[in-house]
Amino acid sequence: MGRRAPGWRAQQRKHLWGRRALLGGSVLALTVPLIWTVLASLAIKPDTGAWPPGWTFPPSAGSYVEVMNAVPGFPRVLATSLVLSITATLLTIGTAFLAAYSLARWRFRGKRVVVQGFLVLASLPAMAYVIPLSDFTREVHLRDTFAGVALASAAVFAPLAVYVLYGYLEQVPRALEEVARLEGAGLYHVMSRVVAPAVAPGLAATAVLVFVLNWNLFLVPTALTLRHMRTIPVALSDFYTYERELEWSNAAAALTLSLLPVAVLVVLAHRILERFSLSPTPGEPGG
Amino acid sequence: MTPRQHLLLLLPLAALLLPFLFWPAVFGLASSFTDYAPAERHLHVVGLQNYAATLENEDFRLAFRNVLVIVLVTVPAELGVGVAVAYSLRDRFRGRGLVRIILLVPWLLSPIAVGVMWHFLYGSVGMLSYLAAWLRLPAVPSPLALPGWALAAVIATEIWRKAPLASFLLLPGVLAVPSEQWEHAMLEGVPLGSRIRQVLLPPLRPLLFTVTLLLLGDTLGTFDSVLMMTGGGPGSETLTPALYSFQQAFKAYNWPIGVASAWLIVAAVLPLGLAYLALVRPGDA
Repeated sequence: MGRRAPGWRAQQRKHLWGRRALLGGSVLALTVPLIWTVLASLAIKPDTGAWPPGWTFPPSAGSYVEVMNAVPGFPRVLATSLVLSITATLLTIGTAFLAAYSLARWRFRGKRVVVQGFLVLASLPAMAYVIPLSDFTREVHLRDTFAGVALASAAVFAPLAVYVLYGYLEQVPRALEEVARLEGAGLYHVMSRVVAPAVAPGLAATAVLVFVLNWNLFLVPTALTLRHMRTIPVALSDFYTYERELEWSNAAAALTLSLLPVAVLVVLAHRILERFSLSPTPGEPGG
Repeated sequence: MTPRQHLLLLLPLAALLLPFLFWPAVFGLASSFTDYAPAERHLHVVGLQNYAATLENEDFRLAFRNVLVIVLVTVPAELGVGVAVAYSLRDRFRGRGLVRIILLVPWLLSPIAVGVMWHFLYGSVGMLSYLAAWLRLPAVPSPLALPGWALAAVIATEIWRKAPLASFLLLPGVLAVPSEQWEHAMLEGVPLGSRIRQVLLPPLRPLLFTVTLLLLGDTLGTFDSVLMMTGGGPGSETLTPALYSFQQAFKAYNWPIGVASAWLIVAAVLPLGLAYLALVRPGDA
């Protein structure tokens, strides 16, 4: 311990209180709107007609029943979203993992630019190419089909996945792979038995995040869908347009339903997500 | 591995990206110099006419000005809040894991859902009105419908949506800063500002660049949350270029203008991407 500057302890205390205020404020700012919404979905809404303002009671689950009937085909929309997001995530992670491994174990000039280029590609708004994309899928008869929407969604997030997985693969010690190779293991064997287990936490965390991104993707599904492949964001945007005066409880129930699957997933995967990093460094757990 | 194996492993990704990303992008760029539209039989090269028409359009200009304001306010705010919150999560304490997961909450909602949610929360059933009722103030109208206030409300929503995510993504970088260094600087009485500049930022730099680029790209493409909150209104006060492009292509079926305005967004993103490539040092990858 070095020499302490004067007022060190007071500064320390001020620091602690500042931190508590910042974190407390942030948690409130993040959770209150959400709690407000969940309460509204249960028909508990502010009643500002009298003073002091109260809340409407009793709670009811009627809005949830209503949503299932009011938004056309909502159960089907939920199922479409789920299957589509899982498929697109598997496609993204699968192709990105193979490509990232290839890049991570390949030495060539300009590799850094190629890897960083994937990040630049990931930052490109999908709006840039979605209009011709919808035309292209129509021409090859993939528009409004499961395969078309799944492939196009997978392509949106593949560059980001390559960048992140490359970071994880860079951290894997090569010695293990070389030992396996010397023992005569082929490429497939090395990848599935040695590399994949070594990056499993990073792979899982990336998959969870890509799943959430897919679940929430709006532009690609809406541009590629007429009727059949409506996902939750597409259905929400059709139904709850800003022009229409809609019932808040009803909308709140739809929002809660759309959040529920990803919220459950993230709670289940919280230990993996806590160790997620966009650019992992050596010595970090999960790398 | 042999070069052939390397290429073989890259093949699936290429098979996905070539038709579903690169081809539409290149084809879109090429078609923006023509009067191409899906139903059109004959194709005419029109040069820069689509771009000229887009740039002359009053709404589009306003949209570009709006997105510029949004970027200049939200991205620094998101990074600032992100670093500050990540920094306060540096030390272990009870409930830290929970706070970390709560940071993901706004991002778990789709931008569409966030738009619908804040459309209502700014209105008569939201927190502001409830607060006003407690204080016996007259009912406040939704800022989303108030000329002069709508853009500020949209900006607040965007910060709510993305600052916590920035914090979540920056946290590993903040945790990687050796805490002895920080404590040492604090014991020496180095003021907070220079402590941040000298101790925190250098190791955080690569991750900060990465997050900044992702935020910039995402913000320049802002449209789905705005679509649900205001639809670009009142007037065109909250219109963004991506929303304009979306409306032109999918609502007005004006493809050439839609594509040209989309490529004007790319023209704004690409220099940022190139600057990123130039700024990131070899050791940073």
